[in-house]
Amino acid sequence: MTKWLRENLWRHTFAIIMCVFALFPLYLVVLSSFNPTGSLNLTSFVPREISFENYKMLFSSPKIPFLSWVKNSLIIASVVAVSSVVIGAASAFAFSRLKFKGKKFGIQLLLLVQMFPSILALSAVYVIMERVYSFAPEIGLGTQAGLILVYLGGSMGVNIWLLKGFVDSIPAELDEAAKIDGASPVQTYWLIFIPLATPVLAVVCLLSFIGTFNEFIVARLFLVEMSGRTVAVGLQQFIGGQYASNWGAFAAGSILASIPIVIIFLSLQKYIVNGLTAGSVKG
Amino acid sequence: MSSIFRGKFALILKIIILAVVTAILSLLAQSAVASGEIAIGIFLIISIFALNFTYFTKISIPLKFFVPGILFFIAFVIAPILFTVLMSTYNYQTGNYISKEAAIEQVLIRGVEPDANQTTFDLVSGKVANGSDAVLVSDIANQKFFLSTQDEITFLDAGQLTINEYGVAVTAPGFTELSADELAKSDAYTKVRYKYQDGYYIVIEGQGVGAVFRQALAYDEKSDTMKNLQTGEIYVDNNRGNYVLEGSPEEMLTPGWRAPVWFENYTKLVTDSRVRTPLIKVFIWTVVFASLTVLSTFAFGLLLALALNRKMRGRRIYRSILILPYAMPSIMSILIWGGMFNTEFGAINNLLNTDIAWFSSANFARAAVLLVNLWLGFPYFYLICSGSLQAIPSELQEAAAIDGANPRQVFRSITLPLLLQILSPLLIASFAFNFNNFNLIYLLTGGGPRNTLDGEIAGATDILISYTYQIAFGRNILDFGLASAISVLIFFIVASISFYGLRKSKVMETFG
Repeated sequence: MTKWLRENLWRHTFAIIMCVFALFPLYLVVLSSFNPTGSLNLTSFVPREISFENYKMLFSSPKIPFLSWVKNSLIIASVVAVSSVVIGAASAFAFSRLKFKGKKFGIQLLLLVQMFPSILALSAVYVIMERVYSFAPEIGLGTQAGLILVYLGGSMGVNIWLLKGFVDSIPAELDEAAKIDGASPVQTYWLIFIPLATPVLAVVCLLSFIGTFNEFIVARLFLVEMSGRTVAVGLQQFIGGQYASNWGAFAAGSILASIPIVIIFLSLQKYIVNGLTAGSVKG
Repeated sequence: MSSIFRGKFALILKIIILAVVTAILSLLAQSAVASGEIAIGIFLIISIFALNFTYFTKISIPLKFFVPGILFFIAFVIAPILFTVLMSTYNYQTGNYISKEAAIEQVLIRGVEPDANQTTFDLVSGKVANGSDAVLVSDIANQKFFLSTQDEITFLDAGQLTINEYGVAVTAPGFTELSADELAKSDAYTKVRYKYQDGYYIVIEGQGVGAVFRQALAYDEKSDTMKNLQTGEIYVDNNRGNYVLEGSPEEMLTPGWRAPVWFENYTKLVTDSRVRTPLIKVFIWTVVFASLTVLSTFAFGLLLALALNRKMRGRRIYRSILILPYAMPSIMSILIWGGMFNTEFGAINNLLNTDIAWFSSANFARAAVLLVNLWLGFPYFYLICSGSLQAIPSELQEAAAIDGANPRQVFRSITLPLLLQILSPLLIASFAFNFNNFNLIYLLTGGGPRNTLDGEIAGATDILISYTYQIAFGRNILDFGLASAISVLIFFIVASISFYGLRKSKVMETFG
């Protein structure tokens, strides 16, 4: 017994302390979301009364058009995730499997550029989209279509790089066999590669979905209209400066908005942890 | 199955898709060129050619895979980077934001002066019989009435008019008044200059009111100067985006235009103390913040990984709880923490039984930022450390143990050095990531506390990237030129850090 204590006591103690630390804000936000007063001021850390008032408010109050925010986020993130994988997979396939002039240069450029944090070019993107707005208001600054274009284009470097890493890990024997049988690269791509790579592409697609869902600052600059905002921007603007009075509804909203992301994340844990060790950091 | 990708069907589909894309891009290119966005227009035209050549000829098979990706990559990654560099050599800021042509137009519009009495008239907006915009003006003081268009002025007899109880003419023969709705829809009325006498004209100032003005400035294209028509003063281009009075460069006409100032934004970083002092302060905090974050998240992550690095009861439960902060969307977590640090009602003060104004004091705000980032970041290092610990061959540790080393010695001289070697690229990547961790700073403290009364731009918790954002977007004055110069600077810093990390990982590949 003493041996067990000596070897394991500190492990459990430390793990429990860190678990409390990890859970504390989450517990608090869940507690607040069921707090009928909706205020930040929690009189106790133990729930006295459970009420769904805050959740009801999300779906009824015109002050906080939560449903349209969620809808916007889902649409934007899905379009970006699917399109970027469709476009990126083709490029990644070419980088990984085809031989062509300038391949080495292309890979180096990709490597260099994907290190450039896209937020550094924020004012440039802003000015470019402002000018696009001047001749094509439908896809310029202030529109969701414009935001999608910026996300899609802006993630291209990182996505192709990430996809190339995944594609490299898929064995090439089958494509080579197809090539010997006389298949063209385009046929190999559609008939051999895509069916093989579908699970991997799905993972990258979901990762890209999480990344887009989590993006804040470009969306903040782009989406000015209340009902056109994403969840992240909407909730931030809703809570901004009004912590005391808007807390309950915010807590409920942030829980609802987080649940799908947490579920996706936990189910992809294996891939994400592998990706982590491969050197990519979640945004 | 394979016929889908060959046969007629595929060909028709390809033609339809390309035709639609070509049509959309052509339309965009056309309107881009029409509104003067030549660079964007050229890019769109090149895209059209690139797409059609690639998919309708057999120039290159790899290109068929690349083209859409490359085009997006150029448009939204390469172009903004190049444009950032370009902007950093311009005085691109509020007051010097538009092109020179637009600035000249604006200067001329603003270059007017009222007549000596600052006369205003009551008027009604509408159209005359030939359809041109007109105003029916009532000069009540002199009991004169006239219809005025851009080109003509017609004096009218009071007898022809309907005059309301305030003495304002409301109808005249051949004049149709516009309803308030129609007026609201068309902004043309406020832009037209309606003719008056002696070189003066009338401009609509508000609903039913017009004022008398005359042009005070004239542009001379040949010498590229502005001339004051009354005083004869000449304003010349100062090569920095403004027309200034000859001989006294402080007197400039507004607005200006964006003009190249070459390296001025960069030299400002070094020579202008109002820029340099905050920049140095912010830079130091950025490095401190990123280092402490990497250090603390790594230390706690590693300790956890060590603690849980053996078969023990509850390990799975611990793991699934510990991963939660990392699985949450970070934006939500940061906002939640923001509420917890609230002075009056926040859980932290509540728990500690204090009333600290966390975000009003520099040191408390910094501590809060570090604590929140520890919460956000330790699961990441816990995950990779526990992965890496299993990857370290246990023979080494066992051998050391047999040689009589105690567990602490084994850890210090074998496990830790190996681990650091494996993880150094990730530590560097994490440093680079936190160097630009905009969301955390912006959402938690907004960079504050900052003393806005003193006109301070840099707050106590501002890191370079949030400071740059503050310069570019955070104030009434947008300064994209200076912000871009700092962006370029940050890029070089981050690129060198990343390259260093990359070389480390290369070294590892060759050895391991």
